[in-house]
Formats: sequence, C-alpha cells, structure tokens
Amino acid sequence: MPSVNVVNGKLIVVETLDPLQRVSRFLAKPFLQTWHHQDLIMAILRRELRARFQGSAGGWIWAVFAPLVAIAVYTLAFTTNLQLPLAEGLGGKRVAYALFIFSGIVIFNFFSEMAFRSPMLLHEYAHYIKQTIFPSDMLAVIATLRATAYTGISVVVMLILQLLVTHGLPWTVLLIPLVFLPLVAFLVGMSWFLCAVGAFTRDAGYLMINIVPLFMFMTPVFYSHMAMSPPVNILIYGNALTAYVEVMRDIVLAGNLPNPFVILWMLATSIFTFYFGYWFFDRYRNVIVDVI
Amino acid sequence: MSSSTSSEVVVHARHLGKAYQLYARRSDWLKQVMFGWWKSYFKPFWVLRDIDLDVYRGESIGVLGRNGCGKSTLLQVICGMTLPSNGELRVTGRIAPVLALGATFDAELSGRENIMIGGAVLGLKRATLLRKFDSIAEFAGIGDYMDQPVKHYSVGMRTRLAFAICAHVEAEILVVDEALAVGDAAFQRKCMDWIDSFRQNGTLLFVSHSMAEVRRLCTRAIWIEDGRIRAQGEPSAVIRSYHRALAMEKDDIHRFSAGE
Repeated sequence: MPSVNVVNGKLIVVETLDPLQRVSRFLAKPFLQTWHHQDLIMAILRRELRARFQGSAGGWIWAVFAPLVAIAVYTLAFTTNLQLPLAEGLGGKRVAYALFIFSGIVIFNFFSEMAFRSPMLLHEYAHYIKQTIFPSDMLAVIATLRATAYTGISVVVMLILQLLVTHGLPWTVLLIPLVFLPLVAFLVGMSWFLCAVGAFTRDAGYLMINIVPLFMFMTPVFYSHMAMSPPVNILIYGNALTAYVEVMRDIVLAGNLPNPFVILWMLATSIFTFYFGYWFFDRYRNVIVDVI
Repeated sequence: MSSSTSSEVVVHARHLGKAYQLYARRSDWLKQVMFGWWKSYFKPFWVLRDIDLDVYRGESIGVLGRNGCGKSTLLQVICGMTLPSNGELRVTGRIAPVLALGATFDAELSGRENIMIGGAVLGLKRATLLRKFDSIAEFAGIGDYMDQPVKHYSVGMRTRLAFAICAHVEAEILVVDEALAVGDAAFQRKCMDWIDSFRQNGTLLFVSHSMAEVRRLCTRAIWIEDGRIRAQGEPSAVIRSYHRALAMEKDDIHRFSAGE
C-alpha cells in the first residue's frame, strides 16, 4: 500500500466512502490523530512544561504563586472601597468576592493564553513542520494541554483557598472536569483556526492583542450576568465564554447545578468550534507548509 | 548497475513539478484566498519541473546540485512534507526524512531529552526509544556530553547525535539532507558502515556537496539544475560532468529570479 500517492497536487485516497462514512471519519479524525501521536504529544508537552520555568530558581512555585497573588490583589482592590454585588452563599466575606472574580479570571486567562499564542504557534514550530513529517494539527492540542495544566493549578489553588475561607466545598466541584472538557475542546478548535490564519498573516496576532482585552469586559468576569438588564443578559451569551464562567461559578461557588439551557449552549459552541477549527486547519494544511 | 536485491519500485515520480507562490505584496495572499477562483495574485516560482524518477528498493541515490536548484524541495516532496503542484508521485513503504535533523534540536535541552523528542518526531514510540536509548548513545559516542545542553555541543557533536537518532528509525526509505558532511573520519566510517548495512533492505536518498561521499555511498547519482534532472547515472560519470559544468558556469544571480 503506498504511503504517499499524489496526482496533480491532490492526495489520492483509493477507497470510496459513502457520505455517512465520510462524516463519521471526519468526526473521528482529530481523536484518532491524537491517539496515534500520543507519544509525540507527550514528548513535546513535557518539554514545553519544563521550558516555561527553565532558568528560573522558583520553578513551579511561580505557577502556584501567581494565582495566590492575583486573589490577594482582587481582595484588596475590589472589596475595600467598592460595594459590588457579592456572590450568594459565600457569607459576604471579602475573599468571597475575590474568589468570584478569580473563578471568572481562570476561564478567561485560559482563553487569552490560547488566543495570544495560537497565531504564532506554527511559526514557533516552523522548523519541525518544514523539516520533518510533523503532524502540525497536533500543535494546537499540545498548546491547549499546556495551558490546561496551568489552569488546573489555578483551579486547585482556588479550591484550597475556598476551603479555607468557607470551611467546605459543595459536592458539585466534582463536576469541574465536565466544564473543562468542553472548554478544552472549544479552545483547541479556536487554536486550530487561529494558528492556520496566523500562518498566513501576522495580522491575526496583532488583532488578538487588541481584541482580547476587550473580551475581558464582554465576559462576566468582574460582574455577574444576573446583574444585567434584559436585552444584554441574553446577548452576553453570544460570547461563548459567558456560559463557561457561569457554569464554573454555579458548581464551584454556589454549589448549584447549572441551568440546562446554558449547558446545552456551552456544548453546542464547543462542538461547533472544535470541528469548524479542525475542518479549517485541515483544509489549509498543505498550503501552510509552503507559506510558513 | 545497482546492488538492489529486487527491482521493486519504491518511489515513482512522473512529470513532478513544484511551484511556490510568490507574492509581490504581503496582502496579496489574502486576495488570493478570497478571489483565487477568479484570478491569481501570485507569480508561480517553479522550483521543480518535470521530474521523472524511479527509485528501486536497495538503491542509494545521491542528489547533486548547486544551492537553490531544488534538491531539498525534491526530497521534501518525496517525503510528503509538501505536495507537488503537478505530476504524479507514488511512494511505497515507510519513509523517514532526516532533513537537517540537527536543526530541530532544542539548544536548551540535553542530548538525552533531544533524543526523546527527535525520536518522537521521527515517529518512534516512547517505549521503543527507551529500549534503543543505549544503542543510540553508543552510536553517537559523545559520552558525558549526553546530559549537557545541546548549546554546548560542537557542530560535529550535533551531527553525531542527529545521525545516531536517524540510524535507529525503523524506516524503509531514509532521506538524508547533508548529515554526514561534518564529523571526523572515524565517525564518517561508522556512518558508512551503518548505511551499507541499511542498504541490505532499505533505500537511501541523500543530498550532499561532498563528492567523495557520493562516490563511496551511491549506486546512482542525480544532478539537478534549475529544478530539472540534468543528468543521472553512474556516480563518477555524473560527478565528472557536474564538476566540468561548475568550472564553466559563473555563480550568477539569475538563477533565483521568478517567472519566465
């Protein structure tokens, strides 16, 4: 069986599939690829995680330190002078509002790290893409996994603080992985799209630098979506991150089960972004090698 | 002509051509993406034109040519790293490109870590790599430097490490881009011995500017000029005419201009 079979610039796949098989193959492809390249993904991921703190004396301490400092600053900044609506069920403590913000920030930082990095991702690994047979679609997966690791640390720090402040955690925190799974899928899809666009033009990177800070205010990080007036409190869901922030706060801070419509919306945006991103990347994959 | 054990074709190329899209302005690619179906906004730059090539199992082929003649592009196309713009290409068997593997090394990491990553990039499983690690380290023969960051390596040591990894890849077709040029005589001999044993059932394609290397290793030489095969056949004959041409033609800049 030939490994490469190309005629007039098009890869030839000898088998004939009916539309249903083609769709199911497309749906399974990103997962099969990830499974197939798992050793490569882990090798590069291990290096990336180590490289982030390489040369620093503190090492991993920084990953734990950063969220702690953030929470301390929020506590000081937002609770000394301002009277903002506090999240219910946290006893109105100062730290409670800081945790409220932090639970939004965790999601937002995860998003912004991916949004900033993705446009340059393929340039970062250009030497691999150009000089080896490299599964370039796996770079978005690796980048997202790295960001997931740091987000995970922040979440753990947040949970520990919350445990210290409120002397208990709602059982719903066990559902955190169920929020992160669609979030990771959403961000991988976004990363596929952005890194494919970023391969062609640096404008994607500059665009992100300009719009990501704006997104911070279009996401209910510092406020609650419930505090908004009718047209806006629905429109804000147009920003897919809103749903994640809301669900995160429901299960971590309030201990409620989230609204099923919000969950459905979250899953819909996640699955759509994931497959749209993959479709887009796959479509331009062969052109990307030549332009990067 | 060759030491091939069978006459099985592993690489089959007909009228193979590769054009890169050259844009006058950075923004033109965007127009191309949007209106490409109507009009093209780029100048095609043909790096490869009309390549007809059959590579048989067990052959080892040296590719000669001046800088920018399309040698590396040909190897990239054969490896499937970039798609040809036209023509037909069929490659049978597992192919491993060792195109400047040393270039993918991370200077901050130790040799050991680079072996793990480089091996993974070449498609080796972690378990396989761990099993073969001692053998790779022995082949590289850089001793305690293995645990030093690669930035402290000399060029020769990098090459040793890169080739040692390549030598442990389970591939049927190995594509090497100037990997042996540096390295001392003893190491070169080790590589030659390895290549000789590899050729028992594998196929080798490599680019080199060292004529001695081509003469010693190759069963066939291909001379590429302006993206076309100018001559191919018995290595010493091809090398002789290549040298003659080099002496006669000046190193002009016109070779790199786009369009016709």
